[in-house]
Amino acid sequence: MDDVLDEVVSSEDLQKFEKVFHEQLHQGKVTHKAQFEYAWCLVRSKYPTDIRKGILLLKELFNSHPEGKRDYLFYLAIGNARIKEYNKASHYVKSFLEIEPANQQVLALERQINKRMEKEGLLEIAFCSSDECRCRRSSLL
Amino acid sequence: MGVGKSCLLHQFTEKKFMADCPHTIGVEFGTRIIEVAGQKIKLQIWDTAGQERFRAVTRSYYRGAAGALMVYDITRRSTYNHLSSWLTDTRNLTNPSTVIFLIGNKSDLDGQRDVTYEEAKQFADENGLMFVEASAKTGQNVEEAFLETAKKIYQSIQDGRLDLNAAESGVQHKPASPGRPLAAPPAARDNCAC
Repeated sequence: MDDVLDEVVSSEDLQKFEKVFHEQLHQGKVTHKAQFEYAWCLVRSKYPTDIRKGILLLKELFNSHPEGKRDYLFYLAIGNARIKEYNKASHYVKSFLEIEPANQQVLALERQINKRMEKEGLLEIAFCSSDECRCRRSSLL
Repeated sequence: MGVGKSCLLHQFTEKKFMADCPHTIGVEFGTRIIEVAGQKIKLQIWDTAGQERFRAVTRSYYRGAAGALMVYDITRRSTYNHLSSWLTDTRNLTNPSTVIFLIGNKSDLDGQRDVTYEEAKQFADENGLMFVEASAKTGQNVEEAFLETAKKIYQSIQDGRLDLNAAESGVQHKPASPGRPLAAPPAARDNCAC
Protein backbone atom coordinates (compact mmCIF):
# COMPACT_ATOMS: atom_id res chain seq x y z
CA MET A 1 0.00 0.00 0.00
CA ASP A 2 1.87 3.04 -1.29
CA ASP A 3 -1.11 5.27 -1.63
CA VAL A 4 -2.60 7.55 0.99
CA LEU A 5 -6.06 6.95 -0.55
CA ASP A 6 -5.86 3.20 0.10
CA GLU A 7 -4.99 3.43 3.74
CA VAL A 8 -7.69 2.09 6.06
CA VAL A 9 -8.13 2.94 9.74
CA SER A 10 -8.15 0.08 12.24
CA SER A 11 -11.49 -0.55 13.92
CA GLU A 12 -9.86 -0.17 17.37
CA ASP A 13 -8.72 3.33 16.45
CA LEU A 14 -12.06 4.30 15.02
CA GLN A 15 -13.83 3.10 18.18
CA LYS A 16 -11.30 4.76 20.46
CA PHE A 17 -11.68 8.22 18.93
CA GLU A 18 -15.42 7.78 18.47
CA LYS A 19 -15.76 7.16 22.19
CA VAL A 20 -13.87 10.33 23.11
CA PHE A 21 -15.97 12.36 20.67
CA HIS A 22 -19.25 11.00 21.99
CA GLU A 23 -18.28 11.50 25.61
CA GLN A 24 -17.54 15.15 24.87
CA LEU A 25 -20.76 15.42 22.88
CA HIS A 26 -22.76 14.23 25.89
CA GLN A 27 -21.02 16.73 28.11
CA GLY A 28 -22.03 19.42 25.66
CA LYS A 29 -18.53 20.58 24.68
CA VAL A 30 -16.61 18.96 21.84
CA THR A 31 -13.04 20.19 21.44
CA HIS A 32 -11.57 20.81 17.97
CA LYS A 33 -8.99 18.16 18.77
CA ALA A 34 -11.50 15.41 19.54
CA GLN A 35 -13.62 16.27 16.52
CA PHE A 36 -10.60 16.32 14.20
CA GLU A 37 -9.19 13.04 15.50
CA TYR A 38 -12.55 11.33 15.04
CA ALA A 39 -13.08 12.86 11.59
CA TRP A 40 -9.54 11.87 10.54
CA CYS A 41 -10.37 8.25 11.44
CA LEU A 42 -13.79 8.38 9.76
CA VAL A 43 -12.46 9.53 6.38
CA ARG A 44 -10.08 6.55 6.42
CA SER A 45 -12.89 4.06 7.08
CA LYS A 46 -13.78 1.43 4.51
CA TYR A 47 -17.46 2.37 4.80
CA PRO A 48 -18.72 5.30 2.70
CA THR A 49 -21.26 6.24 5.41
CA ASP A 50 -18.40 6.80 7.87
CA ILE A 51 -16.47 8.79 5.29
CA ARG A 52 -19.49 11.03 4.64
CA LYS A 53 -19.87 11.61 8.36
CA GLY A 54 -16.17 12.49 8.57
CA ILE A 55 -16.61 14.99 5.74
CA LEU A 56 -19.45 16.71 7.59
CA LEU A 57 -17.40 16.97 10.78
CA LEU A 58 -14.45 18.38 8.82
CA LYS A 59 -16.67 20.97 7.11
CA GLU A 60 -17.91 22.10 10.53
CA LEU A 61 -14.32 22.42 11.73
CA PHE A 62 -13.31 24.28 8.60
CA ASN A 63 -15.98 26.90 9.33
CA SER A 64 -15.38 27.17 13.06
CA HIS A 65 -11.62 26.80 13.51
CA PRO A 66 -9.57 28.86 11.02
CA GLU A 67 -6.20 27.85 12.54
CA GLY A 68 -6.62 24.27 11.35
CA LYS A 69 -7.84 25.05 7.83
CA ARG A 70 -4.98 23.40 5.95
CA ASP A 71 -5.47 20.12 7.83
CA TYR A 72 -9.22 20.17 7.22
CA LEU A 73 -8.84 20.95 3.51
CA PHE A 74 -6.39 18.09 3.13
CA TYR A 75 -8.66 15.50 4.73
CA LEU A 76 -11.73 16.88 2.96
CA ALA A 77 -9.88 16.14 -0.29
CA ILE A 78 -8.96 12.63 0.88
CA GLY A 79 -12.48 11.83 2.13
CA ASN A 80 -14.11 12.97 -1.10
CA ALA A 81 -11.60 11.11 -3.26
CA ARG A 82 -12.27 7.93 -1.29
CA ILE A 83 -15.98 8.08 -2.07
CA LYS A 84 -15.11 8.90 -5.70
CA GLU A 85 -16.31 12.49 -5.48
CA TYR A 86 -13.28 13.46 -7.51
CA ASN A 87 -14.48 16.90 -8.56
CA LYS A 88 -15.04 17.92 -4.96
CA ALA A 89 -11.69 16.40 -3.98
CA SER A 90 -9.94 18.40 -6.72
CA HIS A 91 -11.69 21.54 -5.56
CA TYR A 92 -10.30 21.14 -2.03
CA VAL A 93 -6.83 20.37 -3.36
CA LYS A 94 -6.94 23.49 -5.52
CA SER A 95 -8.07 25.63 -2.59
CA PHE A 96 -5.13 24.30 -0.60
CA LEU A 97 -2.65 24.93 -3.41
CA GLU A 98 -3.84 28.52 -3.75
CA ILE A 99 -2.41 29.09 -0.27
CA GLU A 100 0.61 26.77 -0.51
CA PRO A 101 1.32 26.18 -4.23
CA ALA A 102 4.54 24.22 -3.68
CA ASN A 103 3.30 21.80 -1.01
CA GLN A 104 4.70 18.43 -2.13
CA GLN A 105 2.33 16.40 0.02
CA VAL A 106 -0.71 18.03 -1.55
CA LEU A 107 0.78 17.96 -5.07
CA ALA A 108 1.28 14.21 -4.61
CA LEU A 109 -2.34 13.84 -3.49
CA GLU A 110 -3.45 15.80 -6.57
CA ARG A 111 -1.51 13.39 -8.80
CA GLN A 112 -3.15 10.39 -7.13
CA ILE A 113 -6.62 11.88 -7.52
CA ASN A 114 -5.95 12.64 -11.20
CA LYS A 115 -4.63 9.13 -11.74
CA ARG A 116 -7.81 7.64 -10.30
CA MET A 117 -10.02 9.94 -12.32
CA GLU A 118 -8.21 8.91 -15.47
CA LYS A 119 -8.27 5.24 -14.62
CA GLU A 120 -11.94 5.18 -13.74
CA GLY A 121 -12.82 7.47 -16.64
CA LEU A 122 -11.11 5.07 -19.02
CA LEU A 123 -12.85 2.13 -17.43
CA GLU A 124 -16.18 3.79 -18.07
CA ILE A 125 -15.29 4.18 -21.76
CA ALA A 126 -14.25 0.53 -21.90
CA PHE A 127 -17.59 -0.53 -20.41
CA CYS A 128 -19.44 1.68 -22.86
CA SER A 129 -17.67 0.25 -25.86
CA SER A 130 -18.17 -3.33 -24.71
CA ASP A 131 -21.86 -2.48 -24.25
CA GLU A 132 -21.89 -1.07 -27.73
CA CYS A 133 -20.34 -4.28 -28.98
CA ARG A 134 -22.98 -6.24 -27.19
CA CYS A 135 -25.70 -3.99 -28.62
CA ARG A 136 -24.30 -4.36 -32.11
CA ARG A 137 -24.02 -8.07 -31.68
CA SER A 138 -27.56 -8.36 -30.39
CA SER A 139 -28.90 -6.30 -33.28
CA LEU A 140 -27.02 -8.52 -35.69
CA LEU A 141 -28.60 -11.52 -34.08
CA MET B 1 10.11 24.72 11.60
CA GLY B 2 10.48 20.97 11.95
CA VAL B 3 13.40 18.65 12.58
CA GLY B 4 13.32 17.58 8.92
CA LYS B 5 11.74 14.14 8.82
CA SER B 6 9.99 14.72 5.48
CA CYS B 7 13.15 16.26 4.03
CA LEU B 8 15.17 13.19 5.06
CA LEU B 9 12.58 10.93 3.46
CA HIS B 10 12.51 13.06 0.30
CA GLN B 11 16.30 12.98 0.11
CA PHE B 12 16.23 9.20 0.48
CA THR B 13 13.46 8.50 -2.05
CA GLU B 14 14.06 11.31 -4.57
CA LYS B 15 17.72 12.17 -3.91
CA LYS B 16 16.75 15.82 -3.76
CA PHE B 17 16.56 18.44 -1.04
CA MET B 18 13.18 20.01 -0.49
CA ALA B 19 14.12 23.58 0.43
CA ASP B 20 10.68 24.79 1.37
CA CYS B 21 9.26 22.06 3.52
CA PRO B 22 5.98 22.90 5.27
CA HIS B 23 4.63 20.95 8.25
CA THR B 24 3.40 17.50 7.27
CA ILE B 25 -0.31 16.92 7.62
CA GLY B 26 -1.05 13.61 9.36
CA VAL B 27 1.03 11.00 7.61
CA GLU B 28 2.93 10.76 4.35
CA PHE B 29 4.19 7.66 2.58
CA GLY B 30 7.39 6.96 0.75
CA THR B 31 8.80 3.82 -0.82
CA ARG B 32 12.11 2.75 -2.26
CA ILE B 33 13.45 -0.59 -3.36
CA ILE B 34 16.91 -1.37 -2.07
CA GLU B 35 19.14 -4.39 -2.05
CA VAL B 36 20.38 -6.09 1.09
CA ALA B 37 22.60 -9.18 0.83
CA GLY B 38 21.54 -9.67 -2.78
CA GLN B 39 17.83 -9.56 -1.92
CA LYS B 40 15.52 -6.88 -3.27
CA ILE B 41 13.65 -5.25 -0.42
CA LYS B 42 10.88 -2.73 -0.74
CA LEU B 43 10.96 -0.25 2.10
CA GLN B 44 7.65 1.30 2.94
CA ILE B 45 8.28 4.38 4.99
CA TRP B 46 5.58 6.21 6.90
CA ASP B 47 6.44 9.78 7.67
CA THR B 48 4.39 10.95 10.63
CA ALA B 49 3.61 14.60 11.36
CA GLY B 50 5.57 15.99 14.29
CA GLN B 51 3.10 18.54 15.55
CA GLU B 52 1.35 17.77 18.80
CA ARG B 53 -2.20 17.84 17.42
CA PHE B 54 -1.45 14.83 15.22
CA ARG B 55 0.25 12.79 17.87
CA ALA B 56 -2.71 10.82 19.24
CA VAL B 57 -3.64 9.44 15.83
CA THR B 58 -0.12 8.99 14.40
CA ARG B 59 0.68 6.74 17.36
CA SER B 60 -1.26 3.96 15.67
CA TYR B 61 1.18 4.02 12.76
CA TYR B 62 3.97 2.77 15.01
CA ARG B 63 2.23 -0.56 15.48
CA GLY B 64 3.77 -3.29 13.42
CA ALA B 65 6.76 -1.22 12.26
CA ALA B 66 9.90 -3.26 11.71
CA GLY B 67 12.00 -0.16 12.16
CA ALA B 68 11.65 3.38 13.45
CA LEU B 69 13.77 6.43 12.70
CA MET B 70 13.65 9.04 15.41
CA VAL B 71 14.86 12.49 14.40
CA TYR B 72 16.04 15.59 16.25
CA ASP B 73 17.64 18.83 15.05
CA ILE B 74 21.26 19.29 16.18
CA THR B 75 20.78 23.08 16.19
CA ARG B 76 17.82 23.07 18.57
CA ARG B 77 18.29 21.58 21.99
CA SER B 78 14.54 21.47 22.71
CA THR B 79 14.10 18.85 19.97
CA TYR B 80 16.78 16.73 21.61
CA ASN B 81 15.20 17.13 25.04
CA HIS B 82 11.95 15.65 23.72
CA LEU B 83 13.61 12.44 22.56
CA SER B 84 12.91 10.44 25.69
CA SER B 85 9.16 11.04 25.38
CA TRP B 86 9.19 9.96 21.70
CA LEU B 87 11.31 6.96 22.62
CA THR B 88 8.83 5.93 25.32
CA ASP B 89 6.00 6.08 22.77
CA THR B 90 8.02 4.10 20.25
CA ARG B 91 8.98 1.43 22.75
CA ASN B 92 5.45 1.11 24.09
CA LEU B 93 3.86 0.80 20.68
CA THR B 94 6.34 -1.37 18.77
CA ASN B 95 7.78 -4.86 19.22
CA PRO B 96 10.92 -5.54 21.23
CA SER B 97 12.54 -6.51 17.92
CA THR B 98 11.78 -3.16 16.23
CA VAL B 99 15.02 -1.49 15.16
CA ILE B 100 15.22 2.09 16.40
CA PHE B 101 17.61 4.48 14.71
CA LEU B 102 18.38 7.95 16.06
CA ILE B 103 19.21 10.68 13.54
CA GLY B 104 20.64 14.09 14.45
CA ASN B 105 19.58 16.07 11.38
CA LYS B 106 21.00 19.34 9.94
CA SER B 107 24.65 18.32 10.39
CA ASP B 108 25.49 20.87 7.68
CA LEU B 109 24.71 23.63 10.22
CA ASP B 110 27.65 22.77 12.46
CA GLY B 111 28.22 26.43 13.36
CA GLN B 112 24.78 26.58 14.99
CA ARG B 113 25.16 23.30 16.81
CA ASP B 114 23.31 23.06 20.12
CA VAL B 115 23.80 19.34 20.86
CA THR B 116 27.22 17.68 20.71
CA TYR B 117 27.78 14.46 18.83
CA GLU B 118 29.19 12.83 21.97
CA GLU B 119 26.19 13.61 24.11
CA ALA B 120 23.72 12.19 21.58
CA LYS B 121 25.93 9.17 20.98
CA GLN B 122 25.92 8.45 24.69
CA PHE B 123 22.13 8.76 24.83
CA ALA B 124 21.87 6.36 21.88
CA ASP B 125 24.26 3.84 23.46
CA GLU B 126 22.49 3.94 26.81
CA ASN B 127 19.18 3.23 25.09
CA GLY B 128 20.43 0.68 22.60
CA LEU B 129 19.74 2.85 19.55
CA MET B 130 21.73 3.08 16.35
CA PHE B 131 22.87 6.66 15.77
CA VAL B 132 24.16 8.94 13.06
CA GLU B 133 24.27 12.66 12.37
CA ALA B 134 22.94 13.43 8.91
CA SER B 135 21.97 16.26 6.60
CA ALA B 136 18.86 16.15 4.45
CA LYS B 137 20.30 19.21 2.69
CA THR B 138 23.65 17.79 1.57
CA GLY B 139 22.50 14.17 1.69
CA GLN B 140 25.30 13.25 4.09
CA ASN B 141 24.57 9.95 5.90
CA VAL B 142 20.91 9.90 4.78
CA GLU B 143 21.30 6.82 2.62
CA GLU B 144 23.34 5.19 5.39
CA ALA B 145 20.68 5.73 8.06
CA PHE B 146 17.91 4.08 6.04
CA LEU B 147 20.11 1.31 4.67
CA GLU B 148 21.60 0.48 8.07
CA THR B 149 18.08 0.23 9.51
CA ALA B 150 17.07 -2.12 6.71
CA LYS B 151 20.22 -4.22 7.19
CA LYS B 152 19.57 -4.50 10.90
CA ILE B 153 15.98 -5.63 10.24
CA TYR B 154 17.27 -8.15 7.72
CA GLN B 155 19.75 -9.46 10.30
CA SER B 156 16.97 -9.80 12.87
CA ILE B 157 15.10 -11.99 10.41
CA GLN B 158 18.17 -14.08 9.68
CA ASP B 159 18.89 -14.52 13.40
CA GLY B 160 15.28 -15.53 14.04
CA ARG B 161 14.65 -12.59 16.39
CA LEU B 162 12.00 -11.26 14.06
CA ASP B 163 9.28 -13.75 13.24
CA LEU B 164 7.93 -13.16 9.76
CA ASN B 165 4.76 -15.05 10.59
CA ALA B 166 3.87 -12.73 13.45
CA ALA B 167 1.06 -10.39 12.43
CA GLU B 168 2.94 -7.31 13.60
CA SER B 169 6.45 -8.09 12.35
CA GLY B 170 6.11 -5.30 9.77
CA VAL B 171 7.71 -7.54 7.16
CA GLN B 172 6.10 -9.46 4.34
CA HIS B 173 7.92 -12.08 2.41
CA LYS B 174 6.91 -12.33 -1.19
CA PRO B 175 8.40 -15.36 -2.92
CA ALA B 176 9.91 -14.42 -6.25
CA SER B 177 7.73 -15.17 -9.23
CA PRO B 178 9.03 -15.13 -12.79
CA GLY B 179 9.61 -11.59 -13.97
CA ARG B 180 9.06 -10.07 -10.57
CA PRO B 181 11.64 -9.03 -8.06
CA LEU B 182 11.63 -10.46 -4.58
CA ALA B 183 9.97 -7.87 -2.44
CA ALA B 184 9.91 -8.01 1.31
CA PRO B 185 8.94 -4.70 2.80
CA PRO B 186 10.30 -3.89 6.21
CA ALA B 187 8.27 -0.85 7.09
CA ALA B 188 10.65 1.65 8.53
CA ARG B 189 8.65 4.43 10.03
CA ASP B 190 10.00 7.86 10.10
CA ASN B 191 8.92 8.69 13.58
CA CYS B 192 9.32 11.94 15.10
CA ALA B 193 10.86 14.26 17.56
CA CYS B 194 10.12 17.90 17.26
